[in-house]
Amino acid sequence: MSPFLAVVEKDLRLAWRNRSGWASAAAFATIAVLTYSFAFDLATGDVRPLLPGVLWTTFLFAGVFAAGQSFQDEVEDGTFEAMRLAPIPATAIFAGKLTANLIALLIIEFAQLLLATILFDAGLFTPALLGIVLIGTIGYVSLTTLLSTMGGHVRGRSVLLPVLVLPLLVPLLIGAVRGTGAALGLEAGTAPWIVLLGVFTLWSTLGAFLLFPVAVER
Amino acid sequence: MNQLLRRLEPLGWNVLPPVVGVAMTAMIVGALAAAPREIIEGEVQRLMYLHVPSAVIMYGAFGFTAFASVMLLWKRDMRWDAAARSAALVGVFLCSMVLLSGAIWGKPIWGVYWTWDARLTTTLILLLIYVAYLLARSVAGPLDEQAARYAAIFAIIGVVDIPIIQMSVRWWRTLHPQPIIFRPNPALPDEMLLVLLIGFIAVASLATWLIFLQWNTERAAQRVSALRAEVDHREMA
Repeated sequence: MSPFLAVVEKDLRLAWRNRSGWASAAAFATIAVLTYSFAFDLATGDVRPLLPGVLWTTFLFAGVFAAGQSFQDEVEDGTFEAMRLAPIPATAIFAGKLTANLIALLIIEFAQLLLATILFDAGLFTPALLGIVLIGTIGYVSLTTLLSTMGGHVRGRSVLLPVLVLPLLVPLLIGAVRGTGAALGLEAGTAPWIVLLGVFTLWSTLGAFLLFPVAVER
Repeated sequence: MNQLLRRLEPLGWNVLPPVVGVAMTAMIVGALAAAPREIIEGEVQRLMYLHVPSAVIMYGAFGFTAFASVMLLWKRDMRWDAAARSAALVGVFLCSMVLLSGAIWGKPIWGVYWTWDARLTTTLILLLIYVAYLLARSVAGPLDEQAARYAAIFAIIGVVDIPIIQMSVRWWRTLHPQPIIFRPNPALPDEMLLVLLIGFIAVASLATWLIFLQWNTERAAQRVSALRAEVDHREMA
């Protein structure tokens, strides 16, 4: 088995064993969508134009939360150190962790889309929208995975991680929210949002792959 | 680097302070007294002589943070970490000045202190990124190489992100005046341009001096940290 697949399998198995961490990320996302839906319903009659913003803020917060969670256990058990000692390239470790996080988050996002479909009465399962969700998720997971891996030893990291990641993700948030709005037939301007999203995802993934080996070097 | 530093260090102590003093005085006198009153915007436009140079020099400081971060990752010399932190701190100070003077300027001209205009948004995000950088670096001691490397990587990601942030925010919305200075025929009268030039020199020398002072402070903190570690080590032995 290639080192990449081994890391993916290990991380997914860990995610399954530590279901509570991922379950709390999913529960957080669910409660966020419910709270938004409820709070906005009190303020305005038509909540549909708010849907793209609701979805993406929820995805980003859940993603940052989950990335911090998934790495916490690795640090506490010392497994990350062990993995660094193994004779496998750092990029394989990163690719593995990235893929595992991506799979877990896509599952959570799928559940949120289902929930939002019911609450906001909008057809969310269109190819265009699923494409945007996939590209956007790759874009933010690469950065959250990189930054969460590096700050492993730092106390108070769970608070620090969102402070670090969210300002960097502003272009992704703009592109994804506007792109989602366009896919839903809402007013979204004329800019090629999908291009912006693609460019951001491309550089964040490439940058994370290039910088990860430097970050974990001893 | 050592030789260059040895040659430059006296300049930091002897030349920079008087230069900063003279340039800042000239800028204040020029902005408040010498420069003509702008016809449409009135007195508040005099903020330009601080606002525009601070904005440009801020980018310089953040650029230097990124450069020092690359050098840290490459050379593994913790002096680059001190340099990156110092430049980021001064950059954050300038960025706050830009946002504050912009808000004071914006209220009488646009009618609001703040609006989610492209440049304002970009500048605010820049502030958030570099405050985050300083936070990330400050969680560990001055000689913690891992934390220094972590912060350096964050600074590099941050600087690469800036053009994308700019593009995305511009597509999203665009109240801030378009550039009137950096083009072949500047649309400013000569007197204003001269005071602005003095403003650039003043803010640039102030920023350089502050970075130099902060760099020395960080270096001192690193030395203290190293000494403390050595004392602990000897007591153990």
